[in-house]
Amino acid sequence: MTYPAIEIKDMAKMYKTKSRHPVRALDGVSLTVREGEIFGLLGRNGAGKTTLLRILTTLIPPTSGSASVLGYDVQRQGLAVRKHICAVLQENALELYLSVKDNLHTYARFHAVPSHQREKRVLETMEQFGLTDHAHVKAMDLSGGLKRRLQVAKVFMVDKPVVLLDEATTGMDPINKRTVLQAIREQAHKGRTILLTTHILHAAEELCDTIVMIHHGRIVATGDLPSIKRLASNVFEISVTFESLTDPIMAALEMLAPLRLHRTRNTVELCVNGVETELLETLTQLSKQTRLSHVEITSGTLEDAFVEILGGPEA
Amino acid sequence: MTMIFALLYREYRIRITSLVWMFFDLFMPLFYLLMFGIGLDKAFAEGIVIEGTAIRYQTFLLPGVLAMASFGIAINTSYGFFVDRDNGIFYEFLTYPMTRGQFLVGKIVFNCLLALIQSFITVATGVLVLGIPLQWSSLGLLVIATVIGTVGWFFFLSILALRIHRSDLFNTVLNVAYFMLMFASSMFYPLDTMPAWLRTLSHGNPLTWHTDVLRFATIGVGNPERVLIESVAFVVFLLVSFAGAVGTLRTAVVK
Repeated sequence: MTYPAIEIKDMAKMYKTKSRHPVRALDGVSLTVREGEIFGLLGRNGAGKTTLLRILTTLIPPTSGSASVLGYDVQRQGLAVRKHICAVLQENALELYLSVKDNLHTYARFHAVPSHQREKRVLETMEQFGLTDHAHVKAMDLSGGLKRRLQVAKVFMVDKPVVLLDEATTGMDPINKRTVLQAIREQAHKGRTILLTTHILHAAEELCDTIVMIHHGRIVATGDLPSIKRLASNVFEISVTFESLTDPIMAALEMLAPLRLHRTRNTVELCVNGVETELLETLTQLSKQTRLSHVEITSGTLEDAFVEILGGPEA
Repeated sequence: MTMIFALLYREYRIRITSLVWMFFDLFMPLFYLLMFGIGLDKAFAEGIVIEGTAIRYQTFLLPGVLAMASFGIAINTSYGFFVDRDNGIFYEFLTYPMTRGQFLVGKIVFNCLLALIQSFITVATGVLVLGIPLQWSSLGLLVIATVIGTVGWFFFLSILALRIHRSDLFNTVLNVAYFMLMFASSMFYPLDTMPAWLRTLSHGNPLTWHTDVLRFATIGVGNPERVLIESVAFVVFLLVSFAGAVGTLRTAVVK
């Protein structure tokens, strides 16, 4: 019998607080992650993403419901779960007094990398993540970005079927982000299942086979990228370059109540939630006032869907 | 065993990054014996009478210093939870493929080796330099008592370190506990000379049990039956502390 890589059924998590009523961090969450899939968990700060990952990594138990990794129950078979996962937690987690190389060696030992392969894997990983020049530098002396890079590098050094990444690319520069995204792709090709949370929506858009959006502990949208984007089907990205951009034109554009608006000289980029024909009509009217040298209208991005679905004020 | 060795390797790698730290861990008990022991040996020139036999104060103190050394190592190791928490690695450890019990045992294994080395240095100097008469036939018991003592105190202190999330509060609690445990015990003076209330308190103190076993193992002083009861009591203390520490570790992530 084959099991899904991750299966969560009707999970809830309540946190007790001293001064207030209990906080419901997760509320009836159910999802299934297939083996070899890159699964994106998106949501605003405090939505419940990290709580979900903490439960899957056996750090905390759910209040109700169940979760399993490769068929192993996270509450009753915690050790078996931990044998099949590796995780990048949101917090930095390094041996600050050890060098980059020793950090990797230590991690490899904990994850049972055979001794004859350890040195080779460590060297390869340092090479892949651009850490070779820092091999003998203590982690405490690394920059924030390098620390994060080292932390992410660790999980890609070991062969665990399920990888959990909580905001793995936070604090990295664009080049390092690319490296990590490439590594995620490579690992997925090798058949590893990857569940990630991220605020970098274009990365999720590029990588994820399935996306779940979570809000106040509840799943509010789920599906592959096209189906998620369809949830924001009335959202359009518009880029218009005018021959001359006057105040009345700007006022007319602002009448569209854009979700975002950015002006650079005579070019305006805006994101609008509206009916396509009405937008075209507005642009036609504006073209009568001044020549439009460039017009581009595209359907919304994942970020637009994110804002559309989750963009309400915080409760 | 892979996990225990991995943790032992990790603790070793961290410790050798600071040789000063390592040096004081190894030699502090010896300094204590030399300075405190020699000083008070002069003050108690007629010796300490215990079980009807008069012995020199520095001979009496040696097991107390060894008990204190085990306790000190246990404090350092349990304080490591705060360092690990600050570095974030503590939570990552809990996602590694090991049980909570393995995690606790693995953390103390390397430090037990340190405790044994520091005991060896202290005892060897005590015998060779101060002329303390060692009971050679009980060396095995001394090794076991050192290890069991270090492990027991570590498990006990782990409960505090895992429950208390502020290092300053932990330090305060520890200072108070250390003070009370040390002075309400047989570490520095024989219990027979104490006021009744302090003697009663001391008899219920695991540090007394540990010290008495070490005293019996090093210099052969003590009632064998009482030492046996105290040994059993300390093992029970260790097991209860272990269960408590594992339970606390299971709920260690508060957020």
